[in-house]
Amino acid sequence: MASHIPRKKEYRIRQNMLRGVYEDNLKIIGKGREAIYKHRYYLPKRLLLPVLLSFLVIILQSSFVSAPYLPEKYLAQGPRPKPVLAMNADNSDGPSNYKEFIGTTGMPMSRIFGLGVRTIMIDPGHGGSDSGTTGQNGTKEKEIALDIAKRLRDRLKKSGNFNVLMTREQDVTIPLNRRVEMARLSRADLFISIHLNYLPSRPINMIETYYFGPSSDPKVLKLAEAENADSSYGTSDFKDIIEKIGQTMKLQESREFAISIQKKLFVNTRKENGNVFNFGVKRAPFVVLLGVDVPAVLAEVSCLSNKEEEIQLNTEQHRDHIARFLELGILDYLNKGDVTYEARRQTDR
Amino acid sequence: MKQGDKQTDENKLFVGIDLGTSRSSISASNNTREWTESYVGWPKDFIAQQVVGKSVLFGAEALANRLSLDLCRPLEHGVIKEGISRNEEAVKDIIKHLIELAKPAEGQKIHAVVGVPADTLKVNKLAIRRAVAEAVDSLMVVTEPFAVAYGLNLLNNSLVIDIGAGTTDFCIMHGTIPTEDDQKTILTAGDYVDDQLFSYLIEKYPNARFNKNMVRQFKEEFSFVRDTAEEVFVEIPVDGKMVQHDIKNEIKRACESIMPALTETTIEMIARFDPEFQIKIKNNIVLAGGGSLIRGIREYLQDALKEYGQCKVTSVEDPLFAGSDGALKLAKDMPAKYWDPL
Ligand SMILES: Nc1ncnc2c1ncn2[C@@H]1O[C@H](COP(=O)(O)OP(=O)(O)OP(=O)(O)O)[C@@H](O)[C@H]1O
Ligand SMILES: [Mg+2]
Ligand SMILES: [Zn+2]
Repeated sequence: MASHIPRKKEYRIRQNMLRGVYEDNLKIIGKGREAIYKHRYYLPKRLLLPVLLSFLVIILQSSFVSAPYLPEKYLAQGPRPKPVLAMNADNSDGPSNYKEFIGTTGMPMSRIFGLGVRTIMIDPGHGGSDSGTTGQNGTKEKEIALDIAKRLRDRLKKSGNFNVLMTREQDVTIPLNRRVEMARLSRADLFISIHLNYLPSRPINMIETYYFGPSSDPKVLKLAEAENADSSYGTSDFKDIIEKIGQTMKLQESREFAISIQKKLFVNTRKENGNVFNFGVKRAPFVVLLGVDVPAVLAEVSCLSNKEEEIQLNTEQHRDHIARFLELGILDYLNKGDVTYEARRQTDR
Repeated sequence: MKQGDKQTDENKLFVGIDLGTSRSSISASNNTREWTESYVGWPKDFIAQQVVGKSVLFGAEALANRLSLDLCRPLEHGVIKEGISRNEEAVKDIIKHLIELAKPAEGQKIHAVVGVPADTLKVNKLAIRRAVAEAVDSLMVVTEPFAVAYGLNLLNNSLVIDIGAGTTDFCIMHGTIPTEDDQKTILTAGDYVDDQLFSYLIEKYPNARFNKNMVRQFKEEFSFVRDTAEEVFVEIPVDGKMVQHDIKNEIKRACESIMPALTETTIEMIARFDPEFQIKIKNNIVLAGGGSLIRGIREYLQDALKEYGQCKVTSVEDPLFAGSDGALKLAKDMPAKYWDPL
């Protein structure tokens, strides 16, 4: 069971751990060198509360928040677009539904959806002048994402149980704030944004799914910090504030939604191609995912930097499979909490 | 260890303590190993004190006398509430009791490493230290799964899953002391199984008379997931007469009720890391805690994870003492100079 570490290295690891325990305990009793600087992102206590409060107020009141987000390809690589975080003063849409979510934990899904038709909004990433990422053979993210989105739409519609909407059905440019607004106005119950990844540093194929929340991954944080730079709030503020409201239903539900999407996408993709990596469900403080008031996820369904995958993505069959897996993910999420389904899920192994 | 670092001083007793929500154990450098259920009871009044004959009772004895006692399970909800001195008092008493059980020699200085559930430590660092400090001369607190991992030499490339009573703690080890990001706590653990089993049994046998404690005993005796060849019958009173009840299916359902969350969280934890590292962790997943005694749980998890690729799950040999043994190893390995300020 013991791991195979060379003795000398093991000795060093142990010494480091023992020192770590010691330093942690010093910090607890307030004697540590960095006792006060416990958090990676430090804000003077005196400032923290007002900042958090004012930010909470902004989240609660803003009629919509817009910010471009382009997670996937910028996670691993270079220059990022200049982020914008515009707070719209016009309250004509009425206050955000976000208020309703705060403090309403543990509400069963039937309460959110009622018994009527469920509206699902699909957001094919990018479009128009924004191509998203491009594979080495010229395959464009915006085109693949749109095609998969349409296939997903058709599948969901065929079941007859859903009202399905898309943020775009053509190759047009739509700003992110507009997409959020569409989800809002259409009173969608679920929001799923479809993207393709690009990892220039590594030629692997991978799948990951995001929902809104604090992140501790330095890559994600760096990106988010850049995205939210103009908001005059640091990512640490987001982190604290989100942790405070972290138990709200939307965040929990988005996470559950993301888990289902990621699971069905990954497990099924893996059956076809063992060479895919599970990057899991991640939180990222993208304001735009916060802007949508319902369970919302952003799925990186595939990876264009992987050559074989790019070839596969150009086959109708592969795109259709991805749409199928997304559908399975949506159904898996919607069935969570259903007792008979749970029982099946638990014993059906 | 460097010469002089190793502490062999006769005047010191090193102890490792695992402070659990349901059970707490101690392992000491004088080779004693003891455990108690994490219940503390104080006599309700003078008369009760006369009846029980003690000012404080622990574990099974406390439960047996619960009608005369103010009963407290201090870490039940994973936290010592700040300012609620009763819980702090109870932790103090448990620690004192455990140290008595370890039989320190006259005048021996006690150097303790205490493992607590990761979430408890996150929010109650100071309160825990305060509660424990009185009973010992020098003290370090660590998270419980880290203590388990250290004790089993799982320093690198591994995932320790400690299935306790109140919580299941996940801890990824990658060669450094784990940070909050390397750890995660979920509330589906032994108590959750008990709750499920209790409600299944009430539904199936509405006339049978049983309580949560009996249900937990049924579980601990018969727990399994997937399948077992044996029959599972227990005696429960109905209208004052003992009657045999078949509870096999209920045991199975209750034990399996924690599996989806367990599997999902395992996958989620692993996915946080680099692909290369993922492969290593996946082949070194270790189950600890009382819940790892559920028959078939190792195989179940391993099969469930197969969908995500090759993996290997093992169980620790002595789940009840893995935490305190690991804490003791930390205490013994700790350089002398580190103890002084603590
Ligand atoms: N054979 C068994 N089968 C199933 N469960 C068992 C068995 N033996 C003990 N348990 C359960 O294990 C749990 C106790 O485990 P453990 O001592 O590791 O928990 P703890 O450390 O007190 O709790 P926590 O880690 O949550 O603080 C209880 O729920 C107990 O019922
Ligand atoms: Mg424990
Ligand atoms: Zn994209």
